[in-house]
Amino acid sequence: MSASASPNERRKFLGILLGAIGAIIAGAFAWPLVRFLSPNNKGGAAQQVKIPKQKVAVGGAHFFSYQGRPAVLLEPEPGQYVALSAVCTHLGCIVKWVSDSQEFLCPCHGGRFSPAGQVLGGPPPKPLTTYAVKLDGETILVG
Amino acid sequence: MKLQKGVMDWLDSRLGVREIMHANMGGYLLPRNINIWYTLGAVLLAMFGLQFLTGILLLIFYVPDTEKAFTSVTAIMNSIPYGWLIRYLHVVGSNLIIVLLLLHMLSVLFMGSYKRPRELTWLSGFIIFNLGLAFCLTGYLLPWSQLSFWATTVATDAAGAVPVVGDFLVEFLRGGPSVGAPTLGRFFALHVMGLPMLFLGLVGFHLFCVRRIGISSPPFGDGYRPLEPARSFHHDEHPGGVPFHPNYTIKDLSMVFFVLAALVAITFYAPWLFIPPDALEPADPFTTPAHIKPEWYFLWAYQTLKIFPSKLLGLASQGAAMGFLAVLPFLDRSPERRPAKRPVFVTLYLLGILLFVGLSIWGHYS
Repeated sequence: MSASASPNERRKFLGILLGAIGAIIAGAFAWPLVRFLSPNNKGGAAQQVKIPKQKVAVGGAHFFSYQGRPAVLLEPEPGQYVALSAVCTHLGCIVKWVSDSQEFLCPCHGGRFSPAGQVLGGPPPKPLTTYAVKLDGETILVG
Repeated sequence: MKLQKGVMDWLDSRLGVREIMHANMGGYLLPRNINIWYTLGAVLLAMFGLQFLTGILLLIFYVPDTEKAFTSVTAIMNSIPYGWLIRYLHVVGSNLIIVLLLLHMLSVLFMGSYKRPRELTWLSGFIIFNLGLAFCLTGYLLPWSQLSFWATTVATDAAGAVPVVGDFLVEFLRGGPSVGAPTLGRFFALHVMGLPMLFLGLVGFHLFCVRRIGISSPPFGDGYRPLEPARSFHHDEHPGGVPFHPNYTIKDLSMVFFVLAALVAITFYAPWLFIPPDALEPADPFTTPAHIKPEWYFLWAYQTLKIFPSKLLGLASQGAAMGFLAVLPFLDRSPERRPAKRPVFVTLYLLGILLFVGLSIWGHYS
């Protein structure tokens, strides 16, 4: 038999043991809580969005939701389509399409973007995110 | 450890927290023969906390609209990760709370702890019990199932037995001639805001009474002698007693975990005990399901209404029974608290329990 542990050592051991059991129980309850509160899926949207050609006009813009976030589809030239995120890269406001000047304007802090999403002026640090566009007959596939 | 001491020193120099902690923990002495029944208050506090937490979580996904309520509850059960767990804990927890409230009241009655000077502690506790029932009644409607709809129709209809203003009362409770969107609106508001605010205030007052007057000694053992209550305010001290912390907090905690284990066991293995098949169908105001029954804790009242030939008599007898319990400390003024020395009270006590259980079983099978 080895020398028995002192009361202080026993107390410390029991404290650690109780703490570990408590942590396991807390974890077992915390996991369902985190899952309950986590987003159910990423915006509830499909990976690819189908948009009929007639929704967008030459020089115009069509706003839609892509993977839970606002996006915009442009037709700068006949038959040429561009899909961009409509979320300003500065502080997350939604950009507006100004058809007169053929550019995007962020109403929050005056950021300006070209139809290709490039920064033309104002505080945005980077261009708008571009999404892949494919044509499938009379339908435009984004994503 | 150093950080903990630093924080404590900082707080202590400003708020004197060590003194408060000592007065309410290690220096707070309880009677040596205190028993397990005294832990029910702490267990109930823990359960109330869990109800608040699960209730807030359910509010994230629940939609209080007659068109969407049932669908939202179905989504919580089937689509939201662990939604079933949160809802079952809330439903089973509410039933366990009623059981615990009943046990808490029965133990206080048996030990005569409701007597002077603890009349206000009893009265506030009795109101808390009734608020608990009101929580259950209002929460029952929210899933907008067949069971919710018809149980609420029957429960609110009972108010119609009150003479003169009965019809007005029924319409007032429902917000219209029958249970509908206005009923859901007011029951929802009551369940998530009105009742909780009232409840928190009352629980605070109840705890204040318990702490201010002091814990009553269990009326058992050779050392116990009934004392004539003091004429002026007197805090019940227990010199030579056991410290609240750690001696009694350990007992409190072990009972809390025991009840939580029971809650989890029912939640996992028998949640259907509290969710009958009628709760799985959306409310249909044009089809009453056969044999609609209230929850188990309202079965005694349901059966009383069936026994009496007049609804008014049935309601009056329920009111008389509840009223009697509410004012009991003001009627029973003898200082004697030992059950063996109170044969009449103990007989009535047992008969009362038998009546409650008997009526409930009768109501269930009738």
